[in-house]
Amino acid sequence: MTLMHAESDRIYRIVSVSGDGDRHRRLLDMGFTPGSEVYVAGYAPFGGTVLVSLRGFSVALRENAADLINVECADGL
Amino acid sequence: MDYNIALIGNPNVGKTSVYNKITHSFEHVGNWTGVTVEAVSKEILFEHRRITVCDLPGLYSLTVYSPEEGVSRDAVCAGKQQAIIDVCDVNDLSRNLYLTLQLLEAGAPVVLTLNMMDELSRRGQIVNYRKLEAALGLPVVPMATKYHAEVHMLLSVTVDYIEHRRHKRAELPYLKKLPLEQVKTIIEKNAEKAGVDLLYAAIKVLENDTFILEKLALSDEQKAGIAALGEGLQDKLAAARYAYIDKIMDGVIMSSVADEHHEMHEHSVHDVPLTASERDEAEKRGDEDEIKHIRLHGKIKKNEDLKRRGFSGLDRLFLNKYLALPLFFVIMLAIFLVTFGDYMPGYWMKTGLEWIFDNALHDPVQKGLTSIGAWNWVTGLVTDGIIDGLGGVLVFLPQIVLMFLFLALLEDSGYISRVAFMTDGLFRKIGLSGRSVFTMLMGFGCSATAVLTSRGMEDEKMRKKTVMLTPFMSCSARFPVYSAICAAYFSGGKAFVIFGMYILGAAVALAYAAILNKIKKFKSGEMSFIMEMPPYRIPTLTRVFQILWHNAKAFIIRVGTVVFAINIIVWLLSSFGVGTVDGNTVFGYCGDHAEIKSFLEYFASAIAPLFAPLGFGAGEHGWQAVTALISGLAAKEVVLSSIESFGGAEVVFGTDGCAALAFVVFTLLYVPCIATLAAIRKEAGWKWMLGGAALQLATAYVISLVFYWMGVLFTYNVGAAVSIIIVLVVAAIVAAVIAHAVRTRNMCIGCPGAKNCGGSCGRKKK
Repeated sequence: MTLMHAESDRIYRIVSVSGDGDRHRRLLDMGFTPGSEVYVAGYAPFGGTVLVSLRGFSVALRENAADLINVECADGL
Repeated sequence: MDYNIALIGNPNVGKTSVYNKITHSFEHVGNWTGVTVEAVSKEILFEHRRITVCDLPGLYSLTVYSPEEGVSRDAVCAGKQQAIIDVCDVNDLSRNLYLTLQLLEAGAPVVLTLNMMDELSRRGQIVNYRKLEAALGLPVVPMATKYHAEVHMLLSVTVDYIEHRRHKRAELPYLKKLPLEQVKTIIEKNAEKAGVDLLYAAIKVLENDTFILEKLALSDEQKAGIAALGEGLQDKLAAARYAYIDKIMDGVIMSSVADEHHEMHEHSVHDVPLTASERDEAEKRGDEDEIKHIRLHGKIKKNEDLKRRGFSGLDRLFLNKYLALPLFFVIMLAIFLVTFGDYMPGYWMKTGLEWIFDNALHDPVQKGLTSIGAWNWVTGLVTDGIIDGLGGVLVFLPQIVLMFLFLALLEDSGYISRVAFMTDGLFRKIGLSGRSVFTMLMGFGCSATAVLTSRGMEDEKMRKKTVMLTPFMSCSARFPVYSAICAAYFSGGKAFVIFGMYILGAAVALAYAAILNKIKKFKSGEMSFIMEMPPYRIPTLTRVFQILWHNAKAFIIRVGTVVFAINIIVWLLSSFGVGTVDGNTVFGYCGDHAEIKSFLEYFASAIAPLFAPLGFGAGEHGWQAVTALISGLAAKEVVLSSIESFGGAEVVFGTDGCAALAFVVFTLLYVPCIATLAAIRKEAGWKWMLGGAALQLATAYVISLVFYWMGVLFTYNVGAAVSIIIVLVVAAIVAAVIAHAVRTRNMCIGCPGAKNCGGSCGRKKK
């Protein structure tokens, strides 16, 4: 499952980040490293963009980035 | 002693605020990513040393993605600075330290400063910065920009670092996990030739950094050698850095004792929450109180946990699926009402100023000049040309400043980035991004400055389109024109017409964006995929006063210089001319003889017939409307001041309300002021500027034409006008429904991935 298809208001653990090149590296630089947890806050009203929180900050990802991030459910709440 | 220091750090950590405080500058700051787009520097004197301080655009990593980030990277790599101040947001420390590690890898002389300590303490947390100092081997200064003493401390530490501590390269243990030695041996000679640091080059080779790879110019053999070291080294490197950060961050940020005490106290009263098995038992027993207690605790815990992860509870409201857009419109409408509505703060301030100009300036001056027998034309120049012309514009000062204030508050609070997020999907369909929304909203303030905010947008075509279309957004200088003319003709529906103008401008801009995106030459490329959400912040009072003061000053200077000069030129050209008096051709002041036609009248009369179809170009006063538009090119405020100097809207448009409406529409849409054109040329080049100007002129003409004739039709035959509108609306709805049905044929229901999903989300197809 990728972040684009995750459910709102839940926590996920990043399994891997696919793709290569700039986009891949940028996601890594932002802290989307395998093993870290992200909170999916919600999707934009017109779709295509997901808002996530990780490591203490919020960031919106478009589908072309969110689709690169493979996650698994990690609801420990 | 001359030193060079630079400020570097992640975007939106307050580098520019620190810079402003150190150098006493007023560089633009804002609560969003990428406000600073180029390096700015200033020389200061600090304790008998001359220090050049340089503010750099923000970046996440030394491997860069945009030209602005490149500026920062080059500054670090050039190594001209004796010290680099790495500004970190202490509330988001782990990601900030990622850049710090890269600076240390590059061997840069880093002084770390933990900014925004005030926000941290407000949350009842403390930071043990000594631990960081020990782990990273560099000086750490915790501070809040608002305290001058702490900024002074930062400079003091930096100077001390330069003079007394010889810079030693930090030991970074995580690098040992990577095959850097092998890479070093492979690229050693190239690095020496290219003059880059060997360790830094080796790390960047692992990261596949194009900038360094180009510099090194590796042979195919060398490339193969590096490829043989293994896959996924990039991931490993990033993960190793973050793992190291987590390790050194352990125990750095803690809750203060008071907070812990509070928690203990709470638990001693409430008892600790039950575990899952205990809850099951409680449920079995049916003990309602116990179950409620657990739920309550769970809820509080969850909110705290989410806050720690970086999620703000306010987003639940502002980004709510259903409430987000209505809330946005309500906020925008409220701003407009408070600023421009009748009997609102903006209105009272304006009315007060108007009274002062009329009763305290215009009338006494006119009386005084006439009584001492000053020349007719001098009296005219002073009262009609200068006092009325400038006064007519200056009375809008309070409203314009209020508008800027609200825009700045939206920006500083962090809300504008949420707007970008929620409109992103919609805007991408027409080839713009949520980022363009920001530039366009700023266009409501001032087109020329808004155009400059487009920098930092990733896609060049999208950026240029945004730049070209932003002038359609109704800038604050155009507002006085609507207001004065509408007051004369549409007194009842004044606010409605004004709001309509803002909507019309935005609609035209969006329609053009959609059309341009269908043309291959102008289609936007793939968009950047990350938008940062800055934290919500309450703007400080000092900042509010700063905004008010700076905008008021800028407006007054503008009115005092450009508008003043143009006004006098226009007045002279429109008040002096030639005519035939008693059979002789004479040159003179129009006020002296009714037969003398002004120079401007000759010129404007010549082109006025072009505007006759729009209503306002026809008739004996047509040339005045055209003159106002021409002089408005210098600054949009001049459109109104020219009309005022001709005697006001009632004189220029007579009784023709439709012509007045067409004129207002034309003012909204036609070529923006020279300052904006210059900004567009700077940002997008001559071609876009000229193309844009032509497009705007054509659009203004066509749409004004439509408005004028619809208005005329309404006046003389309401039935026909309403019928036409109904037919058009029905046709548009039918077309939209058909288009939507065609587009969504294969989409799944409620899928966030929308078109690109292809069914992988497992939701039902329509």
